[in-house]
Amino acid sequence: MHGVSQTFGSVRALQEVDFVASSRAIHALVGENGAGKTTLMRILYGGLQPDSAEITIDGSPVHFRTSAEAIRAGIGMVSQHYSIISELTCLENLMLGAEPSWALNKAAAERRASELARQMGYSFEWKAPAADLSPAGKQKLEILKLLWRKAKIMILDEPTAMLSPGDSDALFASLKQLAEQGATVIVVTHRLPEVVEHCETVTVLRAGKLVASKAVRDTNLMELAELIVGHSVATSSYEALERRETLFRATGLTVKGYRGDDAVKAADLEIAEGEVVGLAGVDGNGQRELFQAIVGRAKVKAGSISFAGSDWTKRPPSERLADGLRLIPEDRHAEGVIDDWSLTENAALGLQRRHGFARGPLIDQKGRWAAAQHIADRFRTKHGGLNAPMKSLSGGNQQRFVAARALESETRFIIAFQPTRGLDIDGTALVYGAIREECRKGACALIVSFDLDELIEQCDRIVAICNGSVVQPGSGLERDRAAIGRLMVGAT
Amino acid sequence: MAIDTGLLVVSTVTLSAPLVLAALGGLTSERSGVMNIGLEGTMLSAACAACFVGLQTQNMWLGLLAAVVVGVVLMQVHGILTQAFGIDQIISGMAINALAAGATSFVNKGFLTLGVTARPVLLPKQFFWIAALAAVFLIGVIMNRTRAGLRLSAVGNDPDKSRQMGVDPIAIRYLALAATGLLCGFSGALIASNAGSFTDNMTAGRGYIALAALIIGGWRPWPTLIACLGFGLIEALQLHLQGTQLAGASVPTEFWTSLPYLVTLIALAGLLGKNRAPAGLGRP
Repeated sequence: MHGVSQTFGSVRALQEVDFVASSRAIHALVGENGAGKTTLMRILYGGLQPDSAEITIDGSPVHFRTSAEAIRAGIGMVSQHYSIISELTCLENLMLGAEPSWALNKAAAERRASELARQMGYSFEWKAPAADLSPAGKQKLEILKLLWRKAKIMILDEPTAMLSPGDSDALFASLKQLAEQGATVIVVTHRLPEVVEHCETVTVLRAGKLVASKAVRDTNLMELAELIVGHSVATSSYEALERRETLFRATGLTVKGYRGDDAVKAADLEIAEGEVVGLAGVDGNGQRELFQAIVGRAKVKAGSISFAGSDWTKRPPSERLADGLRLIPEDRHAEGVIDDWSLTENAALGLQRRHGFARGPLIDQKGRWAAAQHIADRFRTKHGGLNAPMKSLSGGNQQRFVAARALESETRFIIAFQPTRGLDIDGTALVYGAIREECRKGACALIVSFDLDELIEQCDRIVAICNGSVVQPGSGLERDRAAIGRLMVGAT
Repeated sequence: MAIDTGLLVVSTVTLSAPLVLAALGGLTSERSGVMNIGLEGTMLSAACAACFVGLQTQNMWLGLLAAVVVGVVLMQVHGILTQAFGIDQIISGMAINALAAGATSFVNKGFLTLGVTARPVLLPKQFFWIAALAAVFLIGVIMNRTRAGLRLSAVGNDPDKSRQMGVDPIAIRYLALAATGLLCGFSGALIASNAGSFTDNMTAGRGYIALAALIIGGWRPWPTLIACLGFGLIEALQLHLQGTQLAGASVPTEFWTSLPYLVTLIALAGLLGKNRAPAGLGRP
């Protein structure tokens, strides 16, 4: 791939990036969140149309308009969240999109599937629904899907994000085997130990630009880390918190999911004053339901929620907001802002009864304007005037605005779901810095994220959620990547 | 109260066949992830087309063709509204129903003022019975044993992941909706054939009952057939039991007439807990 550029709106996601990978090797593509790794790979896979790019495979130029074309050219991609459809069986998932003929011969397909699995040393219950698979099982099925499609170039985006360390090693052993058989394996990751241990070449991206491309044996962990961040890395240090008064407490909390089963099962969670607690877990393990129950939108089936001595279990959201609850929701369009309203009007959402926004039953126009100004300035939201509609802002700027609003007035408890979605490194630092600041002043925070590394970096303590149960890592392991990773996938 | 079993069987089959065809139409659409409450309007329009083309041309095959064309066109409109323009699938379905009710009534009035009294020529209902049974079998095979069926349910469960696997969800949904139109066309033509001529709102909520049967059948063809037969039986019983006495008391006709709808309500309420709905239903 040569001279790849891509812009989203006014953001330059990739600028003149070159990327070369040869067969029979594992290549690593590394960089921070938002460096453009996934964008580059989606272009190769036909999922995005670049502004400019020259892509050649085996010396001949190619141009993919859809993923289907890329698949036909022998490119396979395993995305971070997998593309396995839970409602189909393992065999159906394996075949989907690459069925041998219009009529499905399931017996023959199963024979070929088992043969492929045997080559890789896997075994599968082909007729079982894919929903029963563990994350490691899904990853194995994804690899078999690549083989089923006879992919010669295999792209794996953050393949170990949902795997325990043991499963990760097994995965790389499989990838090595595939590379030895002639495949070109590209691994997108931000875990450097994996790169040093398992890969042959590494390409580093930073803020959409190519920083380095070299053989792994010519570099080391520290050098890579510096290349990625752009300056030498200081190991982060945290001031130890003395245990203070518990503000938020959920006891035996059970919440029904939309399919009728219990999505959160007897969860216990305590957050003390000044604490930033991370909730780590693989997507779909009950995080949403827990979030909804805490903000007061989902009914609590059993157990209780309390905050600073007042029982929240049955309280309406408005009273929880009055107690100081502030949220940064997952989907800002659905839950955070009203697209057609101005920034000023959006500034008051959820805070409309607070001092500074209202004077009795009347809107405090001046106060609201001042607050909107403050909210917009806080995280340097780029906007075209406070009267412009919210939808005129880019996604990242909307997120800055929503995050700043949650921290605007009388904040006592911040609950954030993927608060840095769509934010660049600068925005991420600003948001977490401000959350930390509020907590220092006596608030507390719960951060839900699917990115364990981000939580480890930003939180005081991390608890895991797996299949609806909230599990606490043992004492001393509150920020231990391996321990929490195991809890996330239900291993003990 | 003596019931003629033979007669009951015949009327059950007569009354369930249009439900079966319409419910299968709903199945192809909903398994692909497109909610479809427009079955009712599509059937009504198809019935209207069958009647008036059958009347004008005096050719039963052209009547069926007209019904199918109208059905397919309406369902493609549903596809364009929901897939290309992203309109809510329920609202689009309601629009189709409203449009069908108005348009068919308008066409009917036009013919009445012209003073046309001849009867349309329509296919015999036995033809449709065979078609309905064949359709259940065919859709069963397509869903379980073909590439088309696999892609259909993949798209219905997770359109985004399907796209990643090189399957085009939009194209599949248009195809699925074409099948829905075809089946609703057959269903409408059968309703016309049962009645012999067109009257306003002659489908009388059968599109919704078909949808209920589809839900009770868990979006699978054979269980849906059984659910449709159940609804047909209730409707047939209703006709046979009107005016009879139950446990010595005379039961008003209205009770029997409301029975199928009551059962629909109870069945839907009771079965909502065991949701087998396609996970991507209603997702753009």
